[in-house]
Amino acid sequence: MWLYEKRLQYPVKITKTCPKTAQLIISQYGGPDGELSASMRYLAQRYTMPVKEVGGLLTDIGTEELAHMEMICAMVYQLTKNLTIEEAKTAGFDAYYIDHTTGLWPQAASSLPFSAVEFQSKGDAITDLSENLAAEQKARTVYDNLLRMIPDPEIRDPLKFLRAREIVHFQRFGEALEMTKERISEKNFYYFNPEFDKRQAAQAGFCKDHI
Amino acid sequence: MRQEHLAMMSVPKQKWKPITGPAQALRQGTVFEDLNLPFFVTADQSEGQNSPLDDQLRDSIMANLEKSGQQKQREGLMRKIQEISFTVDDLRLYMDTHPQDQEGLRALKGALKKRQELLRDFALAFYPLTMDCMTSIMEQNPESTCYGWSKGPMPWEGACV
Repeated sequence: MWLYEKRLQYPVKITKTCPKTAQLIISQYGGPDGELSASMRYLAQRYTMPVKEVGGLLTDIGTEELAHMEMICAMVYQLTKNLTIEEAKTAGFDAYYIDHTTGLWPQAASSLPFSAVEFQSKGDAITDLSENLAAEQKARTVYDNLLRMIPDPEIRDPLKFLRAREIVHFQRFGEALEMTKERISEKNFYYFNPEFDKRQAAQAGFCKDHI
Repeated sequence: MRQEHLAMMSVPKQKWKPITGPAQALRQGTVFEDLNLPFFVTADQSEGQNSPLDDQLRDSIMANLEKSGQQKQREGLMRKIQEISFTVDDLRLYMDTHPQDQEGLRALKGALKKRQELLRDFALAFYPLTMDCMTSIMEQNPESTCYGWSKGPMPWEGACV
């Protein structure tokens, strides 16, 4: 279960209103490669992972992504909390303002609403870990794009931090993939799905050690 | 040396090296120098120097707002908590994929101990950051009628604190 700690993982202190920037950054809240999507992806995949430690890693990274989602929301909140009507008319933000005022709602910069179609939980350990490796790279690319476009150091600082986390997560998922591969004969990693084909999994030495 | 295979991804397992200090680690986003791979757009701001500059920038913007001594103290201690807690976070992920690594474990133990001390200090001086921190306050002040969990600003308020 989850507990809450009353702080951000990394400080967010933005002093200037900028709805245009908020409209771009919101993609890391509700967008396909955003923190909410990442969190839901990892928290969903963890239940059926055949290697227990990988389930543990997915839980820990999935939880950290919620903290990152909180940072992104804090950024959008601070960028728009003193918004005037004139500022709200800025192209790109006016449509969001009509539907949400300055409230937070998970959508992409393109205004596509967040949905489960933006992530996958395929029920196959190799497939899911491959999905996760890709997800971390996609997130890193979005942060690259934001960092190129946004010069304000108050905003760049937390974005730089979030980008660095994606690279570390990629490394961890790579290691998780290695931990999973170790249990499968290297002659053919695709011979069976260790999450579903119980007999083959048992023969290969996967054991559900929590039973 | 693990073999690579056709039609299958492979990422080498990270080996332990001494980690960066908590302040530097938080700034760069990892305790592991090997995983510190910055983007060219922000890489020219060398890690040790950018943060004081940013602090100067923020402080000059906030110059017209009077920060009380107590607020500065609170923000200073909050920063220390964020730094040591981040070291715990990054080590935790490392331990998830290196559960037998004794050096990682040792580093984690040290960081956890420091974090507990700082959380307790913060709770007693200001307000509790977790429900468990309430225990420290209740032990020190059993007669208190204050519901500490409702004290203190919400974390997303940032500069308006």
